[in-house]
Amino acid sequence: MKMKTMARVALAAAATCAALPCFANGERIAVFTKNQTNPFFQAVRLGAESAAKQMNARVTHYVPTKPDSIPEQMSQVEDVIIKKPDAIVFTPVDYKAMVPAVAKINGAKIPVVNVTDRSESGNFVAFVGASDYRLGLETARHLIKSLGGQGNLVAIEGVKGSLTSIDRMRGFNDAVKEAPGVKVLASQPGNYQRLQALQVMENLMQSHPKIDGVFAANDAMAGGVVEALDAANRKANVVGINGTKEAIDAIKAGKMLATGDYNGFMQGCLSTMSAVRSLRKQPVQKDIVFPATVIDKSNYQRWETPVESRTCPTWEEAVK
Amino acid sequence: MSAIMNQFRPQTGAAAAASGAGAWQALPDPVRSVVLRLLALALLCLVLSVASDAFLTSANILNVLRQAALLFLLASGLTLVILTAGLDLSVGANVAMSACLAATVMKATGSITLAVFVGLACGLAIGVANGILITLIRIPPFIATYGMLWILHGITYWFMRGETIHGFPAAFRALGSGHWLGVPIPVYLMVVFLVVGAVFAQRTRWGQEIYAVGANPEAARLSGVPVKSRLVLVYAVSGAMAGLASLIFLARLNSAEGDIGEAMTLPAIAAVLIGGTSLFGVVGSVFGTLVGALILTLVLNGMNLLAINANWQPVVTGVIVVMAVYLDNLTRKGDGR
Repeated sequence: MKMKTMARVALAAAATCAALPCFANGERIAVFTKNQTNPFFQAVRLGAESAAKQMNARVTHYVPTKPDSIPEQMSQVEDVIIKKPDAIVFTPVDYKAMVPAVAKINGAKIPVVNVTDRSESGNFVAFVGASDYRLGLETARHLIKSLGGQGNLVAIEGVKGSLTSIDRMRGFNDAVKEAPGVKVLASQPGNYQRLQALQVMENLMQSHPKIDGVFAANDAMAGGVVEALDAANRKANVVGINGTKEAIDAIKAGKMLATGDYNGFMQGCLSTMSAVRSLRKQPVQKDIVFPATVIDKSNYQRWETPVESRTCPTWEEAVK
Repeated sequence: MSAIMNQFRPQTGAAAAASGAGAWQALPDPVRSVVLRLLALALLCLVLSVASDAFLTSANILNVLRQAALLFLLASGLTLVILTAGLDLSVGANVAMSACLAATVMKATGSITLAVFVGLACGLAIGVANGILITLIRIPPFIATYGMLWILHGITYWFMRGETIHGFPAAFRALGSGHWLGVPIPVYLMVVFLVVGAVFAQRTRWGQEIYAVGANPEAARLSGVPVKSRLVLVYAVSGAMAGLASLIFLARLNSAEGDIGEAMTLPAIAAVLIGGTSLFGVVGSVFGTLVGALILTLVLNGMNLLAINANWQPVVTGVIVVMAVYLDNLTRKGDGR
């Protein structure tokens, strides 16, 4: 009797597997992002949802209520481990401080894909992200090229000590080294905040009568810089990073020169697809780093579709 | 009643006549405190004008005043709260929510009047809610407004979903980036609210009752001050000022996102403290807060003009806060708080 039941269960399981790939439906994916305030992570979340829809999986989002809060993400990880999702897609709020959380996920044997910010250590199914260094480098090169390799620049940095700001500024500084005709007048932090960038730019304009180009480490700060220039009736080529809708509109209106695209939506797509594919024993790429794309007047149309109405490409299209 | 209130009224007549060390000792504490701060401000200006050619220009002075305006508006309402020995930690979150709501309304309806009304009403409503939590439900101000901070941030993040609202009519933006007779509009607002705030606090019965509540709520109550309604009033004013600050923010930055308030609360508190208002209440003035806001703004301006590594900026701010309170302790004749 007992044997018969077991055989029947095995048979049923085999039949399901034959009809569809095993685990084919409804895998539960827990997606961790850093905050609810940065449009970039909203794009990552929408990308994850689109990928889940395409592959018939289910995503649940975990976002600290206090942006980038280390203790909060730590306790969210602990809660999620108890719920045991099939896989986790993980952006650490801090690439060093969250290493113990990654160790806990590894210890619970839940497969995890690292997205956006590369964790300092841990076992990951895959990493999907963009290089902040390349974004800084390419965007700064674009700015310098627009000035014919000559002129006075100022840089508005992000949060001091944050990995994204450090890498973007490293890229900026390397681009400056390539251009002997360029002079950096000042490099001051705006902490990724619009108001602070506006005030820093207002102050810098007082001591520097000629500023030709401004490199801002994100688009919100670039927006603050544009407002400061407008109010003072001055002109400069302004670049930002993140490829936000606001920046695209400013490029269209001729107020900003360019923005480096961080590809948040695609990061969400491919990280979630990698997680689902690894559960389904399909091959994944260990390391997907998007090339830095600079959006300017010549190509902004491609980014005009609102993130809400975009859909992920298929895996084959995306990784070709 | 009037005996309680008279002791908080600075004797400005004595200040005008004062000269020499003896006269300095004879000055009342509030006047000496403000004079000391003005001297510190003058010293800071002197150092900066020697260090940078760009500092002492009319363009830069107007620039600093415009930057200080937003901070002052936020901090002036907060000053009244702190005079009652209370605290409003929700001002930054209030700015964020009021700005996002006003921006949404302006985008949806195109009406500047309606958006301005919504921004001010939102700020005021949050302030009144704080006042009710503190007086009727008897939650300590620190906790009530700290809780409010989280609630407001949460609702704003949910409401904005990481989006940025930007691009407002030029007529509205003039409020933040326009000029009249060569002076930025926010500077006029700052002057108006300085006068209104100072007269209200020092020269009206309600203002003096606020000082009395800060000195001793029980004594104030026994002398007939409606303590609860004065407390609701100060939190309402603080909220409404945050609503006004949110409109200036929108008009200057031409955009709003959910996290704009996060970096605003602590500088506002710092401006009040540097301005000489005591966290224990009673001691302080709206004029002092103006000086505090100017000192904080000058620190950033100076660091930018001199291209100093800005890691030092928070350190300098912290040192100034501690020094300001220490100086008061040294020079104050009274109970030492």
